[in-house]
Amino acid sequence: MSNLSLFLGCVAPNRYPGIEAATKKTFSKLGIELDDLEGASCCPAPGVFRSFDKTTWLTLASRNIALSEEMDDDLLTICNGCYSTLKEAETELKKDSGLKKEVNEKLFETGHEFRGKHDVRHIIEYLYQDIGVDGIREMVSNPLDLRVAVHYGCHLVQPLKENDSELVTDHITFFDELVEATGARSVEYEDKMMCCGAGGGARAAVQDATLRITEKKLQNMTEAQVDCIVNACPFCHLQFDTGQQDINKNSCTNYEIPVLHYTQLLGLAMGFSSEELGINLNSTDTAVFIQRIKEGFVTA
Amino acid sequence: MISNIERCYQCGQCTSVCPMGEQEQTYRIRRFLQMEKLGLESEESMITPFIFYCTTCYKCQDNCPQGVNLVDAVLAIREKAVHKGKMLEAHKKVGQMLINYGHAVPTNADAMEKRALLGLDERPPTVQASIEGLSEIKTLMRLTGFDNLVAESKVETIPENTTMVQQACFTQQQAAEEKA
Ligand code: SF4
Ligand code: SF4
Repeated sequence: MSNLSLFLGCVAPNRYPGIEAATKKTFSKLGIELDDLEGASCCPAPGVFRSFDKTTWLTLASRNIALSEEMDDDLLTICNGCYSTLKEAETELKKDSGLKKEVNEKLFETGHEFRGKHDVRHIIEYLYQDIGVDGIREMVSNPLDLRVAVHYGCHLVQPLKENDSELVTDHITFFDELVEATGARSVEYEDKMMCCGAGGGARAAVQDATLRITEKKLQNMTEAQVDCIVNACPFCHLQFDTGQQDINKNSCTNYEIPVLHYTQLLGLAMGFSSEELGINLNSTDTAVFIQRIKEGFVTA
Repeated sequence: MISNIERCYQCGQCTSVCPMGEQEQTYRIRRFLQMEKLGLESEESMITPFIFYCTTCYKCQDNCPQGVNLVDAVLAIREKAVHKGKMLEAHKKVGQMLINYGHAVPTNADAMEKRALLGLDERPPTVQASIEGLSEIKTLMRLTGFDNLVAESKVETIPENTTMVQQACFTQQQAAEEKA
């Protein structure tokens, strides 16, 4: 038992289970066994469900947090969308006792209660603050010689900003630092902080338009000659990974940039194989990338 | 809903940085806020379905000199539309997924196969593997009325003239033929 439960969300377990496997493996190496959050649901997604009906959004979110509290855990998310929902719900309920009472009246019908005694953490924030860049560096057995396009994602930065986190400065670097702790180089590229395009339910509503936003990012990353994209969100991951295929089909381009969640990058640096981390299960072909890793595309 | 759009002085800084506005001419966040502020209910058709295009990237909000919480405002405008029975077809489907499976993106055969390859349980330890959990969230959605909200909404269609003009995809051969 650790004091952290792993909140999976929807996209990671059901589309990119490699992210789930990589999270469990890397944390286990760090000496942290994550508790499963049995019966957890969709966070629910912030852009769509929050705008359909805020009460439903808040009620389901508070149930997810309550499940984690019942295990006496902080809740760990591996997804920016989940972080946005759960962090915001947590903050609102901790602030507003009337709202908390209202939500708890509904939760009572299912035997749960939101207490507000624990925290919601994003995995990147957790690793940076609780393990630390040096702590990560110490765990690296295979330093990676890679040029990485770091993609923060809007819903990682915004909740931190709203919670006055010291991680958010004029020049945000915490994610880059964690990437560089693996030996890789975080490469500057144009419009680095721009959206992947998918959020807010836009991917479902107007997929073509969202893909044109994604393509702009891919272009900028290509210009910066990166070996892979590293994100902190399965939904950005999906947009970049399957998006490349859609864009190639529609625009006759040939983007083929491997997309990794940070836990997968960290897993490689800790010596896990690409297959153990599910990097080979992406839509975009990662065979060349994996071969280079195998052939000692590592500096060690 | 918290919204401070009265502070907006219509400078347009939000619209100028909006990535969706760059892609879709009809998506003009400043205009939507103005219409909302003025209570132009008759112009509502101008707002839906376009208000659903926002990616919630917060770029507009970061760029607003007046500190307007634009994303909260967008979500509040959407909520009003949904409560009037207006939803996009794709979003209605997402809503039904949540009601049926407890996930916006439920599992499928492909995912179960990949999970097994990775040594994970075929079904994730979420509501997908918990009948009790699923029944709990169904209870909650009944209590909030979400099931009816989704069931009763009429689907808004996206006008044709706003869909993307497909970029022509020429193979080199086709391009050569064109030249010839
Ligand atoms: S940037 Fe702010 S003040 Fe200017 S038009 Fe947009 S919302 Fe209004
Ligand atoms: S949050 Fe929405 S309206 Fe604002 S810049 Fe992003 S896409 Fe545009």
